[in-house]
Amino acid sequence: MSNNNSAIKVTALSKSFGKNKILDNLNFTVPINAIAGFLGPNGAGKTTTLRMMLGLLPAPKDKIELLGYSLPRYRTNALEKIGAVVENPSFIDTMTAFENLRWFGSLYKPVEDRRIYEVIEMVGLKEATYQKFGTFSSGMKQRLGVAFGLLHKPELLILDEPTSGMDPAGRVQMRDILLDIHKNEKASIFLSSHLLDEVQKLCNYVVIINKGQMVTEGYVEDILASNEERYEIRVEDDVKERTKGVLEVLPNLVKSVNFSPRGFIVDIEKNSSALINEVLVKAGIMVQALIPLESSLEETFIKLTEKNANIISSKINNPN
Amino acid sequence: MKRIMNLILFELKKILNNKKAFLFLLVLNITPIITSLILLVVYISFRGFGFGDIQFAGVKKTIQYMFTGHFTLFSYIAPFFLALIVGDSFSTEFGKGYMKMLLVTPVKRWQVITAKTLSIITFLVIAVALGGIILQSDLLIAKAITQPSGFLPGSLQSKAMDSSIAMVTASSASQLLVITFIANLMLIGFFIMFSMFFESAILMSFCSLSAIMAVHVFYWSSDIIKALFDDIAKTLVANFEFLSQFCFTRHFTNLLSVDIIQDILDGKLNIMSDKIYNPLGQCLLWSLVFYVIATIIFSRKQILH
Repeated sequence: MSNNNSAIKVTALSKSFGKNKILDNLNFTVPINAIAGFLGPNGAGKTTTLRMMLGLLPAPKDKIELLGYSLPRYRTNALEKIGAVVENPSFIDTMTAFENLRWFGSLYKPVEDRRIYEVIEMVGLKEATYQKFGTFSSGMKQRLGVAFGLLHKPELLILDEPTSGMDPAGRVQMRDILLDIHKNEKASIFLSSHLLDEVQKLCNYVVIINKGQMVTEGYVEDILASNEERYEIRVEDDVKERTKGVLEVLPNLVKSVNFSPRGFIVDIEKNSSALINEVLVKAGIMVQALIPLESSLEETFIKLTEKNANIISSKINNPN
Repeated sequence: MKRIMNLILFELKKILNNKKAFLFLLVLNITPIITSLILLVVYISFRGFGFGDIQFAGVKKTIQYMFTGHFTLFSYIAPFFLALIVGDSFSTEFGKGYMKMLLVTPVKRWQVITAKTLSIITFLVIAVALGGIILQSDLLIAKAITQPSGFLPGSLQSKAMDSSIAMVTASSASQLLVITFIANLMLIGFFIMFSMFFESAILMSFCSLSAIMAVHVFYWSSDIIKALFDDIAKTLVANFEFLSQFCFTRHFTNLLSVDIIQDILDGKLNIMSDKIYNPLGQCLLWSLVFYVIATIIFSRKQILH
């Protein structure tokens, strides 16, 4: 066991199924107390990585550390402090939510009934405490999975697609539950998801992978920050063409110009909005509004994964 | 230790929740006892017609055959039933995702397979005990007929007290139950090993029972091939002989053949006889081998669902 302060540390992790390479020298570190999102397109290797972390797939020696415990040697020690919420959790159909949590919970340290009621209430299943799992909707099953993950007050909660099968209201509720857990139970959270807007609202740290390789990792605000800013410039329809002409002669300030229903969407150099506004006004163009647009994780994600895919394909085409 | 005990209890609870399994077990056992009762009623109804000797001999033989039949039926149907129980405990759990839930808890894989195996064995003990209780009911019926309580004509009462015409003793019945338990233990091991490769209990049962039949057909055919080709192909025969040693199914059929059951019921053989003791030891050895192989496969298995 090492003494570092990372919740998760993955070093040079590779995995193949037959000739198909799923993970290729993957490296990332999730700091303690982060809410980290694990992102990647379909087939990127997210679920494989999570399964190796949780011991569902054999983990190579000393490539994964969870809370400082190296796998596979200290797997059980690590899992005692980790809550795992797998995709589509399956409990025993003929048992109630309470019975399921009590039986599955007994495989950890002894759990008091009080704690079982507490986590059931925390995930909003109080009414279904004595309802059989077989009668649960997919959203309720997912919530019970989260309750199971929380049962023994984990230091790290690992979730695979936690909002899968949930309606929009359920997703918002799940986000609130996870934020509460992070705040009140002081748990680090690591979750994989396809829903980038949700990750952006929930996570403060992201790890992005593509085709089994690392694309980027870091705090969300750092990843979204760049040397460019995006603005919407609103002008009257009759000056649109003239405005476009003015913007296009400012290549050092304006990186791209695209029409929008009420003007243009422009990518500009950082801190140059006032200067551009001044140039337009001096050219006799009445600027109705200059609206800053927030960078989205979705755009950054697409940009980064496309860039990464190009690098990988160029490496394949030109190995030298 | 507490964790593995909890796991065993958990697994046992899951098996005992399977109401269909108990219903099947009950039907399998209840049929012979109903037959016994019908026989008893028929005997009492007709005993006044003066054919006491004939009736007694007939009923005695019928009950003995019924006991043998019941036991043989139980022994041969039990594997189908056990295959489904093992399949439910392993293959279904792989398919439905319960196994995934178990393996993300801090239990070791060998603990999971051991707990599941022990809970299935406990279920087998319950099944055999239930079978035993019902078989003992057969004995009680037999005794009821031979007791000097008015059922039996007076001329036959002295014969009934004679041990040489005792229908089935409690000792031979208990020995048969122990033999059934150990023979089925070997099959449980085989089914567990097989269930590692399937995600459906029905498919696993079908394939594993087919494999058992294939192994046994090979065992039979090795005898035939030996008889046919002994002179012309000595190497072939030697290879067949070598491989037939690994046909574990022969121990099952050796132990539970009608002749052996009849000899035990007649008191000619007991559990310490070589003819019983050796195959029992082989069954235990094969059980251990299957369990070790299954544990190795399970510890390396990739859980993808």
